[in-house]
Amino acid sequence: MTATTAATKLRSDQRRWAPYAFISPFFVLFTVFLLVPVGAGIYLSLTDWAGLGEPDFIGLANYSRLLGDASFGAALGNTAFYTLFAIVVVLPVSLLIALGLDTRGLRLRDFFRLTYFMPVVLSPIIIALIFGLIFDGQYGLLNAVLEALFGFGGVSWLTDPMWARVVVVVLVLWRWTGYLTIFFLAGLQAIPRELHEAAELDGAGLVRRFFSVTLPQLRPVTAFIAVTMLVNTAQIFEEPFLLTQGGPGEATLSVSMFVYRAGFQRQELGYAAAAGVVMFVIVFVLGRIGTRAFGVGRTR
Amino acid sequence: MSTTLITTEEATARPVAPARRRRATRPARVALYTALIALAIVYVVPLLWALSSSFKDRSDIFAFPPTLWPAPASLDNYSNLLAAQPFWSWMLMSTVVAVVSTAATVFLCSLAGFGFAKYDFRGKNLLFDVMFSSMAIPFAVIVVPLFILIAKLGLANPFFALVVPWVAPAFGIFMMRQYTEQSVPDEILDAARIDGCSEFRAFLTVVFPLLRPAVGALAVWSFLSSYNNLLWPLVIVAEPEFYTVPLGLQALFGAEGRQYDLVMAGSVLAAVPALIVFFVLRKQLVNGLTAGAVKG
Repeated sequence: MTATTAATKLRSDQRRWAPYAFISPFFVLFTVFLLVPVGAGIYLSLTDWAGLGEPDFIGLANYSRLLGDASFGAALGNTAFYTLFAIVVVLPVSLLIALGLDTRGLRLRDFFRLTYFMPVVLSPIIIALIFGLIFDGQYGLLNAVLEALFGFGGVSWLTDPMWARVVVVVLVLWRWTGYLTIFFLAGLQAIPRELHEAAELDGAGLVRRFFSVTLPQLRPVTAFIAVTMLVNTAQIFEEPFLLTQGGPGEATLSVSMFVYRAGFQRQELGYAAAAGVVMFVIVFVLGRIGTRAFGVGRTR
Repeated sequence: MSTTLITTEEATARPVAPARRRRATRPARVALYTALIALAIVYVVPLLWALSSSFKDRSDIFAFPPTLWPAPASLDNYSNLLAAQPFWSWMLMSTVVAVVSTAATVFLCSLAGFGFAKYDFRGKNLLFDVMFSSMAIPFAVIVVPLFILIAKLGLANPFFALVVPWVAPAFGIFMMRQYTEQSVPDEILDAARIDGCSEFRAFLTVVFPLLRPAVGALAVWSFLSSYNNLLWPLVIVAEPEFYTVPLGLQALFGAEGRQYDLVMAGSVLAAVPALIVFFVLRKQLVNGLTAGAVKG
């Protein structure tokens, strides 16, 4: 064997193993910090444990307790509401804004785009604090403005169950719309202009073109956004935690808050793990359905 | 089908192209700008309000009628915050953790993205699917067991726990793979191999420099998600000397009986690094983030 063929062999061996080496850090961390915890969480969910001594195996008792727990029901309901809102309202609103920004010859496009994007850069705790100022039931900016404009300003934004939920959802809208907009805008700009021109020549109007050209072309980006929003909103924590502490009562409690409260404030680690597993199943199944349906992540 | 249609149409349509460059009518344009400006106000006013409140006395923050311009304007909230709270220590903690995470994230995600983009290997699709679907695992699911795991292994040192588990996010790998596929030609890689580069060297010297725009985006994204994170530090960091900014603000807000004066000053200071990073790298961030998703 000559030196060159040995070198070639070495190189092709290397080429076979290199990709595994390159992706291995992810899989090591994934295994240790994600897979193992998920497995441990499933085991833990079958036990009763306050963090000291050995966990007591209690079978499915935590799950049957969850079924009857009104707080968990409320947390699931609220989280479903936030998530549904994110998909049904935030997504279309973002698309609408993106369509506006995609108008040809628009001035200040970058200014608008970046202004709308800004909230995502800020810590949710800062956003929650700012909106605490604005939505304060007695002296908040919003009530003051309402008072000045319409003569009534006594809305208990944060202490009325219905309004408190609305406020959380407004925060979601404010924080995420600009972020989603830039994805939609990039998607719109990537649509070949010829497609629109061809459709226009075929006599398709604005609305018709939107549904038969724009929307189908936006499918990958929409799917990506929808799944991202699903996962993000399903684990919403900071907004209700900081703004309302889940209240009034449990009107804004989210599943993440429920898990945090059970695990770290009440030391019911097994019970918290069970709630986490239920959430995992729901989000994972929905996420998989979403990715499968749209084929996100597949290039070819 | 559509491609042939377009090419034939285009040949005939080109001469009249200017006529089709239809702009929105004037009233529509006015309505559009009005809506966009109104929306920009909705985004800017809360931030200005927070900024203004941070210069007001505790009693003036909720004064009626509200005044945007603080009178008297004072730096008391800032000096009180900095005198009474180890704010710079929170800031240092957050920044160090975020910078270290970001450096590691950028390196590991680029490497893995490159691995997925430029090699064919057995199990690639399965591994990619596993990686990709890990994005759909909500943090709340693992927070309790991960906390126990890290505590039991004696790894609860904040510098470890706030950094190591998070340095290979699936989203980052996905983004880097998309970008690598689009912008690193195979030829350049082959040329490096012929020159005798090892695979890793080829990545470092040839591929990585080409990934710069996406690396910028990933770096900002990673910095911000670490810098802004609350839930995990809340769970894992027990000692006040290791508090991060969000954690410190949260504790302060609770301890002060939900008073806004000090936390607003803190929020403004905390927002500054995030906004600077964002403004400096805004183009890269916005373009890089969306590059992968558009193609799908």
